[in-house]
Amino acid sequence: MYRLRRWGPAILLIAPSLVLIGVFVYGFLGWNLTVSLSDWQGLRPSYDYVGFENYARLADDGRFTNSVGNIIVFTLVFVGGALFVGFFLAYLLERRIRGDGFFRAIFLFPMAISLIAVAIIWRWLMNNATGGQQTGLNRLFSAIGLDFLANDWFKADQPFAVMAVAIAAGWALSGYIMALFLAGMRGVSDDLREAARVDGASEWRVFWHVVTPMLLAVLMSAVVILVHISFKTFDLIFAMDSESRLIETPAIYMWFTTFDAFNFNRGAAIATLLMVGVSAVIVPYIWYSMRAERRK
Amino acid sequence: MSARVDTARDLRIQSRWSPYVTTARYIGLFALVCLFLIPVYVLLVTAFKDPSQVSPRQMWNLPETLSFDTFRIVWPKLENGLQNSLLMAIPASIISSMLGAANGFVLSKWRFPGADFVFPLILFGMFIPYQSILIPLRQVLSEAGLTNLTGLALVHIIYGIPITTLIFRSYFTSISDELIDASQVDGAGMLRTFAFVALPIALPAFAVSIIWQFTQAWNDFLFGIVVVTRATDWPVTVALNNAAGSQVVPYHEAMAAAVLASIPTLLVYILMGRFFMRGLMAGALKG
Amino acid sequence: MEPVGIRLANVTKRFKGDVLAVDDVTLDIKPGEFMVLVGPSGCGKSTMLRVIAGLEEVSGGRVYIGDDDVTTQLPQHRDVAMVFQSYALYPRMSVRRNMGFGLRMRRTPKDERNKRVGEVAEILGLESLLDRRPGALSGGQRQRVAMGRAIVRQPKVFLMDEPLSNLDAKLRVTMRAQLSLLHQRLGVTTVYVTHDQVEAMTLGQRVAVLNNGVLQQCDTPTNLFRKPVNLFVAAFIGSPSMNFVHARVANGTLTFADVTVPLPDGFALAGEDRQVVLGIRPTGFSVATGNDLPTFKAVPDVVEDLGDERYIHFDVDAPRVDTEATRAAVDAKSMEDVLLLPEDQARFTVRLPVNTPVTAGQPVTLAVSPDQLYFFDPDTGANLS
Repeated sequence: MYRLRRWGPAILLIAPSLVLIGVFVYGFLGWNLTVSLSDWQGLRPSYDYVGFENYARLADDGRFTNSVGNIIVFTLVFVGGALFVGFFLAYLLERRIRGDGFFRAIFLFPMAISLIAVAIIWRWLMNNATGGQQTGLNRLFSAIGLDFLANDWFKADQPFAVMAVAIAAGWALSGYIMALFLAGMRGVSDDLREAARVDGASEWRVFWHVVTPMLLAVLMSAVVILVHISFKTFDLIFAMDSESRLIETPAIYMWFTTFDAFNFNRGAAIATLLMVGVSAVIVPYIWYSMRAERRK
Repeated sequence: MSARVDTARDLRIQSRWSPYVTTARYIGLFALVCLFLIPVYVLLVTAFKDPSQVSPRQMWNLPETLSFDTFRIVWPKLENGLQNSLLMAIPASIISSMLGAANGFVLSKWRFPGADFVFPLILFGMFIPYQSILIPLRQVLSEAGLTNLTGLALVHIIYGIPITTLIFRSYFTSISDELIDASQVDGAGMLRTFAFVALPIALPAFAVSIIWQFTQAWNDFLFGIVVVTRATDWPVTVALNNAAGSQVVPYHEAMAAAVLASIPTLLVYILMGRFFMRGLMAGALKG
Repeated sequence: MEPVGIRLANVTKRFKGDVLAVDDVTLDIKPGEFMVLVGPSGCGKSTMLRVIAGLEEVSGGRVYIGDDDVTTQLPQHRDVAMVFQSYALYPRMSVRRNMGFGLRMRRTPKDERNKRVGEVAEILGLESLLDRRPGALSGGQRQRVAMGRAIVRQPKVFLMDEPLSNLDAKLRVTMRAQLSLLHQRLGVTTVYVTHDQVEAMTLGQRVAVLNNGVLQQCDTPTNLFRKPVNLFVAAFIGSPSMNFVHARVANGTLTFADVTVPLPDGFALAGEDRQVVLGIRPTGFSVATGNDLPTFKAVPDVVEDLGDERYIHFDVDAPRVDTEATRAAVDAKSMEDVLLLPEDQARFTVRLPVNTPVTAGQPVTLAVSPDQLYFFDPDTGANLS
C-alpha cells in the first residue's frame, strides 16, 4: 500500500510520455517491420506476409547497393573530416585565449541553421558550370591561380560526388565536434596538468600525455554521434541534388521508393535496415553511458 | 646607476616559445575563420546585391550598392512558410519542454522502481532514424485528419520528448537530493514538490529545452514534407526548398531565401548562445 | 504540545547488494529527550534518522512515534521536522517562504503562518533576513533558517543530520551551546546525528553509539566515558583516544611490556589467568610522586604543549592493538590509512599538568592507579571489569 502511495503519482505523471513513446516509437517500429514483411505496394495498404522477400530483393537491387556504397563513403569522409577539423579547432582554442567565445560562436553557428540552407549555399559553391558560366569555388580557384582544384564536385564520378556532399556536411558539423572535444579537454583537471608541468613536461607533452588519453571517451562519443547522424542525413542530400544517383543514400532512396513510387514494402525494408545500422552503434553507446552514470 | 623597474610583463612565467606559439595560434585561428566563413561571405554578398549585378561570374564580387530587392522578390514565397513555422515551433517547443520537465523530474528525483530501465527506452527514441517510422506515421496522421500544421506540431512534441527529458533529467540530477527530502518532510507529496520546489529551480533548463526544441522544429525538413499535405501548411524549410530548390532558380534568390529562413534561429543562437550550447552538449549525453 | 517518545523495535535496513546498514537495532527515546546517534561514517546513524523520518523503508522491525506505528507512513504525514547537513533551503524562496513552507503544505491560514514565522524569526535573530534568498546568506545564517524552518512547524520530533558539520570550528562550539539552550526552551524530542564524539558528548542527554549498523551502547555521556561496554566504545569516546596494549593477568598481577602492576584484592580479574587488552585513558596517568601507586618509566619522543595542557607520546615495548574495533573507532580501513610511518609498537598518549618538567628524549616516571585500568577481552572486545 505504501508503495502505491509513494510511486503512484510519479508513474501517473510520466505515463502520458510513456504511452506516446511506446506507440510512436516502439509501436511504429514494429509496424514498419510488419510492412517490410508485407506485399504492400500502391496506395491501398496490404499486409499479406511475404517473409524476407523484400530484403532479398534489395540485395539484388542495383539502386540500393549503389546507395549503400554512397552512404559508406559519405560516412567515412564525413566522420573522418569532422573529427579531424573539430579536434584541430579544439586544440587551437584549448588554452584560454582572448576571444575564444567569439571563435567558438563562429564555428558553431551552422548548427543553428537548417541543412536546407546549408545545402543551398554549398550547391552554388560547388557548381560545376564551365567557361563563362563558371562560378562558385571553381571560379575562386581560377581567380587565384589554383585552376587545377576546380572539379565537378557533387556531379563528379562516384565516389567523389558523395565526398563533395560530405565536405558540406563536415562544414556544418565540425563546430559540434570541436565543442565536444573542448568540453572533454576542459574537463581534464588542472591539478593533473600542473603535476605534469612541475614534473618537467613541456606544454606539448602535457597535452599529448595528460590530456589526450582522457579524450578517448570523447572520441568514442563523437564517432557514435557522427555515424548515427550520417545514416540519418536526408535534408542535406535532398536539397543538394535530390534526383542524382551519384549521391543517393538509403535514406533518400527510401523516400523516393515509398512516397514517390508507392513501394511501401520496399521502403519499409530499407528503413528497417537503416534502423539496424543505427542501433548497432547507438545501443552500445546508451548502455555504456548508463553504466558509467551508475558507477559515479 | 639606473634601476630597472620590472613591468608585469617581464615577470610572467612562460617558456621561450610561448609568445610565438600564441601568435601562431591566433594566425591559425584567423585563417580557419576566414576559410570557414567563405560560404557566409558568398551568402551575404549575394543576398544584399542588386539583382542587376548578379551573374555567375560575379559571385565573389562585393556588391556595388546595398540592395534589399532580392529579399523583396523572395519574401512572398517564404512569407507563408515563416508564419507556419512560427505557429508550429513555438507551441511545440513549450509543450514538449513541459513534458520533458515532468519526465526528467520523475526519472531523476522520484525514481520509481524501474526508472533506470525506462529512461534508456525513452532516450532511444531520440536516436532512431525517422525513416523507420515515417510509413506508420503517415498512415495514422492521414486517418486522424492531422496532415496539417497541428499534426506537425504534435509530431515535434512527441519526438521531442526524449531530448527534453534528457535535458531536464541531467539538470535535476545536479540538484541535491536533500532538497527533495526536505520538501517531503515539510509535508509535500510528489506533485507539490514538483510544482513548488522543482519547477522554480528549473528555469535555466526550460531555457535550454525551449531554445533547443525551437531550433530543431524550425530546421526540420523531413517531417515537414511527410506530414503536411497542403502547400498552405508548409513550414519554412519546405517553402525554402521549393523556392530555391532547382538549378533553374537564380542563385541570388536562393541565397536570399536561405538568409530569410534562417534569421529566427540565428537570432536565437546569437542572443541565447549559452543555452543553445547546453542543449547541444546534452544531446551527446554529456549533460 | 506534549512531547512524545520514539521507539525503534528490532529495526533492520538492508540496501541493494546486501549492504546491512542497520542491524536489528532497538532503541527507546524518551519524550522530550535530546538523543544523539554517533559513530564512524557508514555506521548506519543517518540511515536510522531517515527511517524515523520516513525517507527510508525498513527491511524489518517497527517504528513508533508516540503511540502510533508509523512504520509504513509517508514522511509527509509523520509530523517530524528535519534539519539537513546541507540545510536544503529552497533556493528560489525567500527566508520567510522557506520557513513557512511546511505550514503552507499543511494548509495553515496565511495570517497564522506569518505570525508563527515572525515569532520564530525573532527567537533566532532572523527578522532582518526574512526577505532575502538563501543565496544571499552566510553559512551560519542559513543554518539558523534551516532550524527556523523546523521550529515553526511545532512538530512532534526534531531530526538533525549533522547540521553543524559545515560550519567552521569556532562557530560550531558557539552553535552547540545555542542548540542546547534551544532544546531546553522548546522541550521537543530531538534525535541528532553526528560523527563527532565531542559534539555527541556535549549535546546529548543520552548518546547511542553505533558501529556497522549495530547499536553498541546507549547511555549518558558520563557512563559512556566511565563505563564503556566494549573496546569500540572505549576507543571511540574520548579525545585523545584511550591507550591500548596487549597484557596478561596472572597471579593477581597485570603485566604488559616490561611493566608489572599488582592488582588489589577484590579486583574483578584478580583470580584469573588470561590475556587481556588493557586500556588506560590519557588522563589515567600521573607523574610519580613517591606514593604507593605502581610506576613505570617512559621515554617520550614527542611532547605537545597546547598552552593549558601538555601531551607526551611514547612507545611501549609491546605490539600495537590493531583490531577491527580500534580501526573503526578512528574511521580507518587499516592502520596504513592513519600512519605516515609504519610502526608495530604500541604507542601511548598521556596528558600531564602543564608545568610538568618533561623533555623529548628524557625519561619520566609515570604512576598509574588500578581504578583507571580497563580490561577488554581480546577476542570479543567486551569490557571485563
